[in-house]
Amino acid sequence: MSVSIDTVYQRVLSILNKEQRGYVTPQEFNLFANQAQLDLFEQYFYDINQFGRIPGNDTEYSDMLTLLNEKINVFETSATAAYDVNHFNLPADLYRLGTIIYENSTTKLVLDPVSGPNTPVTTIEQIEVERINANEFLYINSSPFTKPKNVRPIYVANQDGFKAYGDSELTSGIKCNYIRKPATVNWGYQMVFGEALYNASTSTNFELHASEETELVIKILELAGISTRELQLYQVAAGEEIKNTQQEKA
Amino acid sequence: MGLINQTDEQYYLGPDGVWNSFDESYGDYQFVAIKDIINNFIISNVGEGKLISKLKRSDVAFHAQRGLQELSFDVLPSFKSFEIEIPPTLYMILPKDYVNYVKLSWVDDQGIERILYPTSKTSNPTSILQDSQYEYLFDDQNGGKLLAVESETLKKFRENNFTQRDINGSDYDLLNIHNYGRRYGIDPQNAQSNGVFFIDRAKGIIHFGSSMVGKIVTLKYISDGVATDQEMVVHKFAEQAMYNYIAHAVLSTRSNIPEYIVQRYKKELRASKRNAKLRLSNIKIEEITQTLRGKSKQIKH
Repeated sequence: MSVSIDTVYQRVLSILNKEQRGYVTPQEFNLFANQAQLDLFEQYFYDINQFGRIPGNDTEYSDMLTLLNEKINVFETSATAAYDVNHFNLPADLYRLGTIIYENSTTKLVLDPVSGPNTPVTTIEQIEVERINANEFLYINSSPFTKPKNVRPIYVANQDGFKAYGDSELTSGIKCNYIRKPATVNWGYQMVFGEALYNASTSTNFELHASEETELVIKILELAGISTRELQLYQVAAGEEIKNTQQEKA
Repeated sequence: MGLINQTDEQYYLGPDGVWNSFDESYGDYQFVAIKDIINNFIISNVGEGKLISKLKRSDVAFHAQRGLQELSFDVLPSFKSFEIEIPPTLYMILPKDYVNYVKLSWVDDQGIERILYPTSKTSNPTSILQDSQYEYLFDDQNGGKLLAVESETLKKFRENNFTQRDINGSDYDLLNIHNYGRRYGIDPQNAQSNGVFFIDRAKGIIHFGSSMVGKIVTLKYISDGVATDQEMVVHKFAEQAMYNYIAHAVLSTRSNIPEYIVQRYKKELRASKRNAKLRLSNIKIEEITQTLRGKSKQIKH
């Protein structure tokens, strides 16, 4: 599903050099490529917000929210949060924090068909930990109806990570669903007779959805246009991007 | 897929595998836990394109518990009861989850409950200690007024010898022995001989008249349904009323909600509460028929 970095690089070079508009070195390309990837990636979240406010459609492949979610799903992951001295640490590759889940473990006795009466059976129920602001915590914690419990946990985020509360402060059993950062792309190469030759083993492809290939080329061309002070190139690329955006969001 | 995830054996025998040994949860299928109510409400009403686009779980939990309280007061058949033997000190401590009483009665030898009535003609006021000059006495330590352990009013109420009355007597006996010719114009609230009580709400104690010494008294009372985790359940007949309560409570406390939507949910809530009450009032055609068979009797009991 990923986009080959070599394909993108070759296309960029081809368009740039076609009309002698300049040359982008591999180092420059890698910088532009990461910038373009993050630019596209960040835009997903704002697009979801925008398309969430208008009615979607029931088509199989063309509902915008579904398309955007499909693009983001590639980066969705989960990890167990590690408890430090008095808080949980956030995952190192975190981009956006999603749901925090508490695995509430309860043991009760059951009549087991095999083990017999009073067999302890532990069940783990996954419960969403609700995010609240630090100023709300005082009120929520002091109201008997909203006080956090293991069946209704809450968390407060801070600069260190977050603190989670159930019947008391939680120190284990917390998982995070989150969007991880896209991997840093790299067009790896080796010099052969003074020319940079693509080296797949040291390269990292774009992790964005395959449908973003053309957008990546256009964005990198825009950046290359700015870098090489080629105004016409920048204008063409920017115009192309605006046209695509208008078409997608119309 | 069905909702029941127990085998028949697990249901009837319970965890210890012994028939009816008080660890079973007989009849629990008629209830929905409040946790499930909260989850179901969030699934069906909260999110993009739904009734409420964004809502905190703690808000839903708050309104769900308030809803359970409200429904406990006038919809759910949730009264509790316990019985004690009245000590010579003639009082009963209110249960820890007490909200209000439904009925107080004492049990006669046949197991019939005889209703006790509240008296409004006495109370247990705070009694201030006075010296021989009728001046107040003060505490040397903190300067506060010194108070008696119990009021003279309560003491006299307790010492009043009601036991002289034949409280088991029938109307015929009473007419014959004491009240013949004197009952005309009697205040109906006092025209009973079962006994009286009053509730000292400030101290959380029920005081009884002296005729109640040694009697088995049953207190039927309502709680609010949120005192313990085990009782935070709603009868399935009132499940829809709970969803409507939460929806209306949430919508009516948010800004920028059009008033017609708030009104719609207010009506929905009223209708579903009425529906729940009707369902839970347990009207069965055979029982009504049996009651109505007495409609043409001239003398009603």
